[in-house]
Amino acid sequence: MLRYIALRGLLALLVAFTVSLAAFLLLNVAADPAQAIAGEDATPDVIEAIRARYGLDRPLSVRYFDWLGGVLTGDFGESYYWHKPVAELVTDRADETITLALSALAVTIVIAIPLGAMAALNPNSWIDRFALGVAVSAQAVPNFWLGLIMIILFGVMVPIFPVSGDDSWKHFVLPAFVLGASSVPAVMRLTRTGLIEVMGADYVRTARSKGFRGWPLLRRHAMRNALLPVISVLAVQLGQKFGGSVITESIFAINGLGRLALESILGADIPTVQMLIFVFAIVFVVMNLIADILNAALDPRIRIG
Amino acid sequence: MKVQRWRSLCAASAIALATSFAPAHAGPEDDTLRAAMAEEILNLDYNYTTKREYIILAQLTDATLFNLDPETQEVNPSIATAYKWQDDMTLDVTLRDDVKFHDGSTLTPEDVAYTYNWIANPESESNATGVVERWLDNAEVTGPNTVRFHLKSVYPLVLRDMANRIMIRKAGTYDPDGKINRDAMSSDLVGTGPYRVVNFEPGTELVLERFGDYFGEAPEIGNIVVRNIPDVGTQQAELMSGGIDWMFKVPLDLAESLGATPMATHLSGPDLRVGFLVLDAGGYTDPDGPLTNVLVRRAINHALNTPEMAEYLIGGSAEAIHTACHPAQFGCDQEAVAYPYDPEKAKELLAEAGYPDGFPLELWAYRDKAASEAIASDLAKAGIDVTLRYVKLESLNQARAARDIPAYFGTWGSGGTADTAAIARIHFSGESDRDMSGDKDLAELVLSAEQTADQEKRKEIYSEAIGKIADQAYWAPLFSYSANYLVSPQLDFPLDPDGLPRLQNSAWK
Repeated sequence: MLRYIALRGLLALLVAFTVSLAAFLLLNVAADPAQAIAGEDATPDVIEAIRARYGLDRPLSVRYFDWLGGVLTGDFGESYYWHKPVAELVTDRADETITLALSALAVTIVIAIPLGAMAALNPNSWIDRFALGVAVSAQAVPNFWLGLIMIILFGVMVPIFPVSGDDSWKHFVLPAFVLGASSVPAVMRLTRTGLIEVMGADYVRTARSKGFRGWPLLRRHAMRNALLPVISVLAVQLGQKFGGSVITESIFAINGLGRLALESILGADIPTVQMLIFVFAIVFVVMNLIADILNAALDPRIRIG
Repeated sequence: MKVQRWRSLCAASAIALATSFAPAHAGPEDDTLRAAMAEEILNLDYNYTTKREYIILAQLTDATLFNLDPETQEVNPSIATAYKWQDDMTLDVTLRDDVKFHDGSTLTPEDVAYTYNWIANPESESNATGVVERWLDNAEVTGPNTVRFHLKSVYPLVLRDMANRIMIRKAGTYDPDGKINRDAMSSDLVGTGPYRVVNFEPGTELVLERFGDYFGEAPEIGNIVVRNIPDVGTQQAELMSGGIDWMFKVPLDLAESLGATPMATHLSGPDLRVGFLVLDAGGYTDPDGPLTNVLVRRAINHALNTPEMAEYLIGGSAEAIHTACHPAQFGCDQEAVAYPYDPEKAKELLAEAGYPDGFPLELWAYRDKAASEAIASDLAKAGIDVTLRYVKLESLNQARAARDIPAYFGTWGSGGTADTAAIARIHFSGESDRDMSGDKDLAELVLSAEQTADQEKRKEIYSEAIGKIADQAYWAPLFSYSANYLVSPQLDFPLDPDGLPRLQNSAWK
């Protein structure tokens, strides 16, 4: 098991570095960081001065290996745009994104698991079709559109939630719903399928014969096994929430990592983008790893390594 | 009866819920103007920033030695009460004795001299250094209320630079005990402006309150909160729900549609940015190319339907222009020759120049795609075989530096400076690749305007330069831009002709 975790950890680092290299090359091809920092009306002198000040006049390979060397010693460099160490910038803003990601996951669980359970208990009924409708809609609706609709509904027409900022828990209600909704289809369908499969199992039939029905049957006998795949999917979804926060945080003006990522990309702030991609890749791979370990821990039949 | 009671209960619950959850509303009730900006505000010290958002904020928190009248561009007193040129290289400035910093201390001439000497010092790495290093040798205190500025060379725009750029700081601000701290004022700003900083969360919110000891006329609104909201749709929702009172840089279609409702007022004001076509008259891409012929360049000017582009593609208060500067800029003489839209005349001129069937032209552009396509289309109607190369700004800059661009659609905002110097120097002094005229006499003329302190003389020089640019059709001037604002119907927000939004002049209706 430990060997497996170590290997996956190594793989995570490789993925993170590969992604960061790709991002580095793409960003440098797509934009001139010196021009982006200087602005539209900058004179060539100013652009050249910025290029020299930040070492952007050096060859790409030198700059990348400089960055890599820094990372290996724990130094992620300084942001061109915010003039702060990138690590400090990311640490300062991580709270908001973690809060948003966990809230969004809670929304997913609260909506998707009961909906999936109801659909499984009433297969092919109107409840099942309703649940399917919710899943298809949530899958089809893009985040930014749902965000704007929620803002119009609950920020303008019935103004009960603030639509921008991150001062209180109220500010996270709408963005958490928007970000959480995108994971509802996967979790709901998996819950439904898992429960339908489990409900036909021998031990559930035995439990029924003992007089268990409805919620007690679900809670004590069916749910635990049916939720095994759901737990691993939730771990992966949590990783995706970090990536999904880019759009949601920008729409709701939450000062987290997602918004930082967008601002950095628009400003061609390569050191910040590099570290964010690195962090997002690590989070994603780690979440996958946790999913595997959880599965193994919950189901003795699964052995890894 | 039961149903009625249920309904009442529901209604009461809804009201209670709405009351307890509803966000704080902006407006006159708490005398707080809430403004939204998409750009993240990270540094409050305008001596270390450049973008427009920071100019707007600096107007609130800081004061300069002089002010420029946005209507007339005349220099008015601010921290300084008077000035006197001892000679072309020595300027004496007299200061008010009642200027207070936000921490309660009184401004001294030592503070003024320190600020200017610091900014002029390359070690300061200030964004304003470039503005003063070309003219300031040093500043010295000469009396209890006077400062003397020694110049390196004759420079007529000293007062304009003083009015626009240098925010006065307390002596020792940036190098206390000899240790340099360029971020000293980035968050904990101690300025001399009409508002003082109460709270600042970089990238999130700035809270300002009226400064009771401000030396000038007190602003009407007591508090200003500037919030960073990156998405314009979210800003719109905040405005509709009363969360903010003011937003700017609003896309025209959104401004018009929301402005037509009772929830917001659409204001369209001038912007010093102008759009233009730069033509390779100097023959950098092809020494014998068609664009080196003045008749061809005049034909291009006649071929462009700039009034319709301004009205339908840029919109708002945008207008067609015929000069290589914004009409509101000092020295931008509107008597220069104009080339009205006349496609037939354009064809005649092309034929006269020896191009009756037109010629191939590569036209580069990086913004306003619809306008770029309209330009290409108009030129094609005159018989020119246009290939439009719509690229990123960086690519256009690189190609222009390599002298690979025969013609491009460019824009220039003059850094908000209402003076022809701010556009002529960069485009016609021969010092940058933006100057494609190849006209050395014109370059000398433009530079000579910066060698005299006589404003009438400067005006004459710019008049001659702008006239020559028009006569030789080095550019095809296109249109000015407009700035669109959406504001709360309760807010009176006056617009100034120089296009700079001044929130400090706002009032509740």
